[in-house]
Amino acid sequence: MARKPITQMAYKSGEEMIFGTAKNPVTTKRGIKLGGGFVHPQVVPHPRPGSEKTKNTLLREFEKMNNDALERMPIVGHPTLLIHQEQIFQMCHNTDWGADIAALTARQMDDYKAKYGLLASQQLCIADLRKPQICHMRTSDYAKEVIESFKACAPYADVLGIESMGGKEIFDHALIRQDVGGLLFAIGYLGSIDMEWMWNQIVDIAKANNCIAGGDTDCSEANTAVFMAGGLTSKDVPHVFAALTRAMAAARTLVAYECGATGPGEDCAYENPIIKAMTGIPITTEGKASACAHSDLCSNLIAAVCDAWSNEAVEYHDMFGATTPSVFAEITGWDCAQFNTAIELGYQKEMKEILVNSDMYRDSHSLILTPDNAWKIGNAIVKNTAKGYYPRARAAAMEAASIITGDAKMKLTVFEKEALEKAVTDMEALPDDEANFVDMCLKKYKDVKGFNPDSYGLK
Amino acid sequence: MKTLTDYSNIFKRYDLDLEVKKKEAREVSKDPALQKVAGFVVKGDDEGIVAAVNDVLAAKDPVTVIEQGLVAGMDEVSRLWDEGVYFLPQVMLAADAMNVGISLCEKKMGKARTMKGKVVTHTAEGDIHDIGQVIANALLNAGGFEVINLGPDCPVDKVVAAVKEHKPVMATGTALMTTTMTAFPRICAKLKALGDKTPFISAGGACALEFGTSYDNSVWAKLDAWAVPLAEDALSGMTWEAMRAKWNA
Repeated sequence: MARKPITQMAYKSGEEMIFGTAKNPVTTKRGIKLGGGFVHPQVVPHPRPGSEKTKNTLLREFEKMNNDALERMPIVGHPTLLIHQEQIFQMCHNTDWGADIAALTARQMDDYKAKYGLLASQQLCIADLRKPQICHMRTSDYAKEVIESFKACAPYADVLGIESMGGKEIFDHALIRQDVGGLLFAIGYLGSIDMEWMWNQIVDIAKANNCIAGGDTDCSEANTAVFMAGGLTSKDVPHVFAALTRAMAAARTLVAYECGATGPGEDCAYENPIIKAMTGIPITTEGKASACAHSDLCSNLIAAVCDAWSNEAVEYHDMFGATTPSVFAEITGWDCAQFNTAIELGYQKEMKEILVNSDMYRDSHSLILTPDNAWKIGNAIVKNTAKGYYPRARAAAMEAASIITGDAKMKLTVFEKEALEKAVTDMEALPDDEANFVDMCLKKYKDVKGFNPDSYGLK
Repeated sequence: MKTLTDYSNIFKRYDLDLEVKKKEAREVSKDPALQKVAGFVVKGDDEGIVAAVNDVLAAKDPVTVIEQGLVAGMDEVSRLWDEGVYFLPQVMLAADAMNVGISLCEKKMGKARTMKGKVVTHTAEGDIHDIGQVIANALLNAGGFEVINLGPDCPVDKVVAAVKEHKPVMATGTALMTTTMTAFPRICAKLKALGDKTPFISAGGACALEFGTSYDNSVWAKLDAWAVPLAEDALSGMTWEAMRAKWNA
């Protein structure tokens, strides 16, 4: 499907946005309405090392993980469960592995619906095997395997997604050098081009198989920035860079929805509140329950406008209470019970305030993701869509910078303040025009290891 | 939306409390020309350094420029990083500037500078998350080690072959996925079968202490910043067992 640029906001304000409800809800095969009024739990079980040895051992691993998660739902009374399958390398590289596991998961969900009336759905995140440094992003065998995996798995999926890798080679080079122009080129421009190439195909595959084209995430870039920024005691990358990168990421992740994806996007897309503001799609987010996979500084705030609530990924192990998929399906379900009780009692606005206030001044990356600020960044993006991928990404980052510096309650260390000031100065010095910016970057980054303009259809 | 005026009962901004007072870099050479070169390394200026190095090469031999200007500047950067004044990007930019200067010196010498030793680095087979390896490569190079960079998604046998060929002081592996770090014990088993005792550094987000110390030859590394001191220990002749006892106790 050809891309339809988004130039208008779906929501009038951040205040209008709330958890559980989206302007454009979607319904899964077994009847879960995402964004239809309530929040749904999502669990992401991850196979143990060694289980990937053969297809059979991996199939058995997923069978057990899925069953443990599904079984827990009727035990504690949770009415729905989203199972998110983040493919490991072997599942995409060997297309039949991924397809057979997806088929198995679908059968298991059907069984639980028949036996208990439990509504479950399966979101498949196909592994993006492409790394710009090791293969051509469009013509390599890895690229073909990714598309083939979508085709093979789509018949069994409720929702299709991916964590795409476009621009990663420039991003890695730029992030560790605090090069904001490089980040804009990587995420805003190259990432967006690659998204368009990928998502036109994914949307068509989803349509042909009667499943939902969910969405993407800038995990490979924006989440790398967040993880390298680390916590409050880390000394790697400035947190303000994580914030600026996140804003740019929203401009890039938007491309999936412009190509016809309908959400929910990937759970680790922390830019999802910005996406929701722009598109009205239902979104999945992850926070405190994803501490099993990684830490973040917005673990409550990121739930403020979610429609599904996830635990990111947990390796399959025994815990005192049960296995990890059981435990984390239960935990995310309890969180959703809180959200949904608040909705039913009419306290959702107050709960949103609690969630946002918990984290908004903990960190600059948290601050830009409040619903109000997410809306402002989204607005900056859509107002600049007509100018091109790079200008709208740059506008997003400049808006994020303005939000951080303009809020007196957002305290920054001297290092963070200086990093932000330099980033703004650097962004202001960049060309306004996309063609000039791209010409400049093609020259500046031509020797970055693995950068092949042809991977993006550029000369 | 309602917001609070005081958040001190909700979270504590430890970063503000821990903030290290900004310090200036120390002088590393009494010679003004060499100090100027070191200064460009400390500032991470890979453009300004060109003229400074070319100027000093007119009067001094390249080895002196490398050791007393470029490397000395990098040592000062390491100190600032250790003390929390510098963050990682400043270290990377300094390494870039240093490498520009070293290239100019090597051109004058007509040969590559003598490195302390080789380190074979790779990201695990099936794993494309290599930013940790990229950072370690830069730090090792800046620390005077020749990096044999095998890149991401590197097959087990290729790592073993590289260790056989290059006889490095140590080899490293980075993995972000628990399903790819399983390559590391396979590499170590093959090295052991060859009677090779080269220390193998198991690193990356997936790799925890328990895993990284569960097979022979392996020493677990928690941080990229450990790369150079580990390499120095390996260079000094420490066995993998002694390195494990020191770093993973």
